[in-house]
Amino acid sequence: MMSKLKRYITAATAFAVLASFGISVTASAAAPSDSYNYDRWGDAIPSQAGYTAERAVTGYDLGIDAFDSPSDIFCSYDRLFYIADTGNDRIVAADESLENAVKIYDSFTMPDGSVTTLNKPSGVFISPENKNMYIADTENSRVLIADTDGNVLMEITKPDSEIYDSRKTFLPQKVTADKAGNIYIVLGNITTGAAMFSPDGSFIGFYGANRVEPTAKIIRNYFRNLFMSEEKRARRKRSVPTGITNFDIDGDFIFTCTASSSQTTDTVKKLNAAGNNIFANYEVTFGDYTPMYDTSRNKVMAPSIVDIDIADDGNINCLDHTTGRIFQYDEDCNLLFITGAIARQTGGFDQAAALESLDEDLYVVDSVKNTVTVFAETDFGKTVHKAAALYNEGRYEEALGPWYEVLKSDGNYHRAHIGIASALLRQGDYKGAMKYAKLADAGKIYNKAFEGRRREFLKANFGYILAGTAAFAVIAAASARLIRRRKKEKEAES
Amino acid sequence: MMDLTETQWVRYAVTHPVEGFDDMRWKKSGSLKIAFLIVGLLFFGEIADDRLFGAQFFISYERIFNVVPYIVRSIILFAVWVVGNWAVCTLLDGEGTMKNICIYSAYAIIPYVAQLYINVILSHVLIRDESVFLDIIRIAGIGWTAVLLFSAIKSVHQYSFLKTAAAILLTIAAMLIMLFLLVLMLALLQQIWIFISTVVTEIIYRIKV
Repeated sequence: MMSKLKRYITAATAFAVLASFGISVTASAAAPSDSYNYDRWGDAIPSQAGYTAERAVTGYDLGIDAFDSPSDIFCSYDRLFYIADTGNDRIVAADESLENAVKIYDSFTMPDGSVTTLNKPSGVFISPENKNMYIADTENSRVLIADTDGNVLMEITKPDSEIYDSRKTFLPQKVTADKAGNIYIVLGNITTGAAMFSPDGSFIGFYGANRVEPTAKIIRNYFRNLFMSEEKRARRKRSVPTGITNFDIDGDFIFTCTASSSQTTDTVKKLNAAGNNIFANYEVTFGDYTPMYDTSRNKVMAPSIVDIDIADDGNINCLDHTTGRIFQYDEDCNLLFITGAIARQTGGFDQAAALESLDEDLYVVDSVKNTVTVFAETDFGKTVHKAAALYNEGRYEEALGPWYEVLKSDGNYHRAHIGIASALLRQGDYKGAMKYAKLADAGKIYNKAFEGRRREFLKANFGYILAGTAAFAVIAAASARLIRRRKKEKEAES
Repeated sequence: MMDLTETQWVRYAVTHPVEGFDDMRWKKSGSLKIAFLIVGLLFFGEIADDRLFGAQFFISYERIFNVVPYIVRSIILFAVWVVGNWAVCTLLDGEGTMKNICIYSAYAIIPYVAQLYINVILSHVLIRDESVFLDIIRIAGIGWTAVLLFSAIKSVHQYSFLKTAAAILLTIAAMLIMLFLLVLMLALLQQIWIFISTVVTEIIYRIKV
């Protein structure tokens, strides 16, 4: 009897487990990972997805042969995608919808009429100003500047300058150019920043070097250094920061990212023309706050941001190579969404290499899967972007509606609480603002709302408060007199 | 002269930092019940200070509530102080008994406890610009408690000024040693407990199979 019952229970449990497995499998078939975000305490919590992977584009989808470890993607001013197909020594231009390859650049005509080919190009950039194509032709140790017909206009090779150490190699990884035509080149093995060239191709200097992280080791070495002889000092290992990995240009600012599993300062920078970091004093951790420990690979998944992209609306997209995740921040470095994973399905990556955005979509290049994955914005993502854009413009009241909608989908969305609190504060609804500011852990907003609420309260109840104080004073005086009289009576008795 | 009830003695001791405790000792006054009440209030005051503070000043991590840190910060700290002081001053010819040290110390921390509650209440009335009032009250409470504690130790043991200072320093050292031993003992007990539970689990498993 007992065993029969036990068997039933076991069967029921097994069924329940299987059923729940089935549900979870179908649920996760859409995206290879669960989307999450960070709450006000910095703890990871489940959240709604801001992006979904639509499709993964291979070379065959574009009507050409397969990509071979592509390492860069760039969307030009005329909405064409340029993919640096490193392994095939070519640059592929594809149309906006990534249906057809428009042109394949595998050889260029030099100014003297000779033909030159690329050798492992790993970066491409199209200038919106002069419509020229800049190619980091890595293994040829040069940067080619060509028009879109394939005629080379200029070739930049290793500079012959006192600033540039002639023993160092010249391996361009990424290239970009600003409005004035200055050319910036990220070089492999160079830690002093991006090499900067004037429009005529002469070497100016280095731009935007990272700072050395002040770890305990650095400080200890500094003090040891004080007691060393010159010879010993010369033979020491030097502390150098990690060189920048990639950059993107947005108007007058250059955003750089640094892929390093050990460095945590300066992983993402916003540099002005003088090379000063606007984000230097922001207390933001780019990538995961507390890196996950992967037990199956015995590895701490420390963020390593390999590419950065500034969308048209000012959002900052960072691609983390370690976790295969895209971290999207708004222009003030507030985390909006986390998308992507290390996975085999569409929407997961093996070696995420480059990132680009066009309108609302994100494009991620995987150099092992040899694909370009297209991510489209979800409805939730659309609402958040709308609300965040309005909020950052200072139009808090207009952002109120979208923020409420965001909360309907995700009641834990931290920025929505801040947005609503700010809007309610401006509208004069102090009580509501206090409620949402407390939920958002926004002490400043709460403080202002509280000040308003206190003023309101005092205004409404000033008469009562005055009357209460007066009554209290009278009662206190009377009771004091009573006590004194009793004391006197007692003394008189004794 | 000085025919005060126990509650009146509390007020007298707190408001007379120099001779209050001496008078109390001379009258052999002081109630252990009130002392325990004060330590209890300290315990709840610490919790209130951490949990019920106005959100414009700081918002505490509300996801978990663990009572152990509050017990350590109030009751255990006080107990260690009393025991440590007793242990040190027994060797230094102090005249105080454990009971008296407990009572006098508890009376001495009244300003600190009061400051906790006053600040919690005020934090719901003031805004950030006025936070200086909270700071003043906090500093005043702590300072007053420090003076009272010194005076209490001085009179409970009938020490000179310098000897009191030395005794307090030694007490702090004794407290650190005691806390260190306490942590050590807890770690050891945990090890023993793990060992016993492992053995029991093993035995149960053997019996079952």
